[in-house]
Amino acid sequence: MSNYCADHIASLVQPDRVHRDVYEDPKLFNLEMDRIFGRSWVYVGHASQVPNPGDFFATRIGLQPVVMTRHSDGEIYVVYNRCAHRGVKVVNEECGNAGRFMCMYHGWTYDTNGDLDFVTQEEGYPNHKFEKARDGMGRVAQWGAHNGFVFANLSSSGPSLQDWLGENSGFLDDVAISAPDGRVEVSGGVHRYLFHGNWKMQVENLIDMYHPAYSHESSSAKSGQQFSRREGDKGGIQFFEKRGKVRSMDGLGTHALPHGHTWQGGLPPLENTSESHREYVALLEKKHGPDRTREILTKKRHNVIFYPNMAMQELNPHIRVIRPVAVNRTEIFIYPVKLCGAPDTMFRDQLVNLNRTHSPTSLVQTDDVEAFARAQEGMLASGNKWILLARDGPKETLPSGRIKTTGTSEEGMRNHYRAWLNYMCSGSPT
Amino acid sequence: MTIEGGSATDELVLVRKIEKFLIREVDLLDDRQFDDWINLFTEDGYYWAPASIDQRTPDAEVSLFFDDVPMMKTRFARLRHPRVHSQIPPSRTSHMLSNVCVSKKHGSELCSAEARFQMLEFRLGYDQRTFGGKYEYDLVLGPDDRIRIAVKKATILNCDDIHLPIAVPF
Repeated sequence: MSNYCADHIASLVQPDRVHRDVYEDPKLFNLEMDRIFGRSWVYVGHASQVPNPGDFFATRIGLQPVVMTRHSDGEIYVVYNRCAHRGVKVVNEECGNAGRFMCMYHGWTYDTNGDLDFVTQEEGYPNHKFEKARDGMGRVAQWGAHNGFVFANLSSSGPSLQDWLGENSGFLDDVAISAPDGRVEVSGGVHRYLFHGNWKMQVENLIDMYHPAYSHESSSAKSGQQFSRREGDKGGIQFFEKRGKVRSMDGLGTHALPHGHTWQGGLPPLENTSESHREYVALLEKKHGPDRTREILTKKRHNVIFYPNMAMQELNPHIRVIRPVAVNRTEIFIYPVKLCGAPDTMFRDQLVNLNRTHSPTSLVQTDDVEAFARAQEGMLASGNKWILLARDGPKETLPSGRIKTTGTSEEGMRNHYRAWLNYMCSGSPT
Repeated sequence: MTIEGGSATDELVLVRKIEKFLIREVDLLDDRQFDDWINLFTEDGYYWAPASIDQRTPDAEVSLFFDDVPMMKTRFARLRHPRVHSQIPPSRTSHMLSNVCVSKKHGSELCSAEARFQMLEFRLGYDQRTFGGKYEYDLVLGPDDRIRIAVKKATILNCDDIHLPIAVPF
């Protein structure tokens, strides 16, 4: 690995700026995989992706292959996707159902909780006594779920899942309650796209309310409004005031939480006239009454980041998984979140709008990833080796430790780097 | 090629007519005549590119493209915007189609067609890409000899790949 000392790493993050090396240095990227993705809680998947015993979903934690399974005991397990014998990746499909996992190389089999099941021609190991767990695929150190959202931690130290989630668990609760049945599921396929840039650029962009009018101007109409993001919405996000003046997003607010989690305040509500929306509201009102329903429908947050690798949005609900590949290469997977009990037509409209906003052919994300690729290239200019994150505004610290400030403040990014430093420099995360 | 109840000459004439139409359709994309491309579709027509190889419907899963006519207009208005950053410089494309099969019931104004295709795409600064797969069309043959598209479905072989941005339809 690298011989970077904590002092050197700490020198790359100043109060109002970060050194370009944090985006460009492959050695730091390897350290991030080890120290951030190797010891933070990391989003893995949703329980609804593995509803039945034998169901599995293969993914990665950092660069490491893992499988989330539903074992015959009904419980979810997160195991390394690796044969104990010669290290071959065992599960080669993204998802499916299996009684056991069999390694293709020498036919060893494993239970769906990762335990060793069977070694072929075992008599050839006279001096090795096999143990189910030790010679299994290996379970990750910790995993747990909140409302079906499964997170895992490759390290056994650090905060509990609930402590790490902090106020973000309230967001997951809000998402669940916005479903008429009180629960959500991940279905509706996945959008996958790629960019030639560092993974942190996507994380930072998600709470950047300074960029939309400039980066996404081409997606706004003459009225200064973006195209509507939901079926039946009267208009879209207002980027510009009438005379072509950029409308400030400061009023939305930025919220910086412990552990690098960050969210934006909710977008101003738009009147929605679609039949499916009316039906949806009626279902919620039947269950919760009109006052509580109004509260549920008033979105308190827009993008919510679960640092380091996941973000969610409540408008057209979806999960965004950030998958680092290399220092200058990142994959993004977008999973629609279905509000169980809501009209099918509403889910259809949600999918249609995700095609427009969150796909490789999107009218919005494509300009973001263009910015990431150009940043990755622009930073190679060595006249200035620093990335400025100085944008600020009035702020207050709430009793929970959450910092609330203006919508276009770069406090959110500075918050990411506080967590980044903590993971990268300390012996063990706190 | 099958026309139920038609003569051999009818078949040849129709197939040639459909082929010419399909060649013009993809040429319009390569020539960036996007308004003319949109005008090939019926009012409630749509263009669909599935995001998984066996995707049955655009209604239950996300798609690479699923554009009705209003969405096509929004998409191409954006491509004309002077600050459409992800398309500065713009992609160049070259579509080719082949293996055209047409089937139609005699007397019906509806006709379906299939073809294999390849699209080369190049944007300065990036590697040239090749997309290819199968086109499936539902076409409407008008009394004035005008052909219009009710559905164009383009299934690319690597529809579930992890793609860099895609701007021009397949």
